[in-house]
Amino acid sequence: MPRIVREAEISWEGTTARGSGVVEALSSGAFRLPTTNASRIADPEGKTSPEELLAAAHASCFVTSLGSELARAGTPPERMHVHCTITMDEVEGAGHRVVASTIRARGVAPDADPASFAQAAEAADAGCPFSALIRASAIVTIEVELEEGDS
Amino acid sequence: MADRTANVTWTGSLLEGGGTIESVGSGAFGPLEVTWAARSEDESGGRTSPEELIAAAHAACFSMALSGALARAGSPPERLETSATVTFVPGTGITKVALSVRGSVPGMDEAAFLEAAETAKANCPVSKALAAVPEITLDAALV
Repeated sequence: MPRIVREAEISWEGTTARGSGVVEALSSGAFRLPTTNASRIADPEGKTSPEELLAAAHASCFVTSLGSELARAGTPPERMHVHCTITMDEVEGAGHRVVASTIRARGVAPDADPASFAQAAEAADAGCPFSALIRASAIVTIEVELEEGDS
Repeated sequence: MADRTANVTWTGSLLEGGGTIESVGSGAFGPLEVTWAARSEDESGGRTSPEELIAAAHAACFSMALSGALARAGSPPERLETSATVTFVPGTGITKVALSVRGSVPGMDEAAFLEAAETAKANCPVSKALAAVPEITLDAALV
């Protein structure tokens, strides 16, 4: 299989406490975002943080895995919505740690039933590369809900 | 404790469909498009991907850890330029993160900077979260 490389960059000026950075997507050019330590551990005030970027990474990784698992099961989705919360906490003796990633997945897949949808979500969690990584160091929780379609 | 959230919606199949990172808790970005093609082919076509977001998270986390460590050592940085390159092999997973940092740090010698950078790489929360990645490398130098 091909090796795919994706690159991002940050320029940081000053100390952690009072400085600030700009994080930029180099491969795609899709974003260029200010970040500070305060936006990370306190109120974000419109600025992103490493943990928010991880939440976006996990949600977008999981959604592609869920879509392919539903298709594989013969119940392709019309629409999926994934919400991810990354929790960072201060762990005694270990400093700040990402302790949990919580995924809430909803979707419309006309031929799926709640049990097969839940099964596809479980397979998606097993197959999503980000889930595999973060599970080694944090608690991954998956909540699922099959929704009724418009028709 | 700090929670950070993101919302992604996907419509249609993996190969022909597409997704949108609609919003994040801070409001700092979104909507951003994501597609399987943008993720799995050499050309991203201007769209982001989970791996690029991981690269952004790791570069940012490492820079904050390093700037904090340098300040504690009495040599706060003027500027740190960090890049992270994430390698993804479809079917296998994320196989490598390569961190590269160039620092302007008045009053610090190269050896002390390298040591601080190695410590930041070992201890930043995203490094810890990604500890299962088979290979995380660091290239650090003063400029």
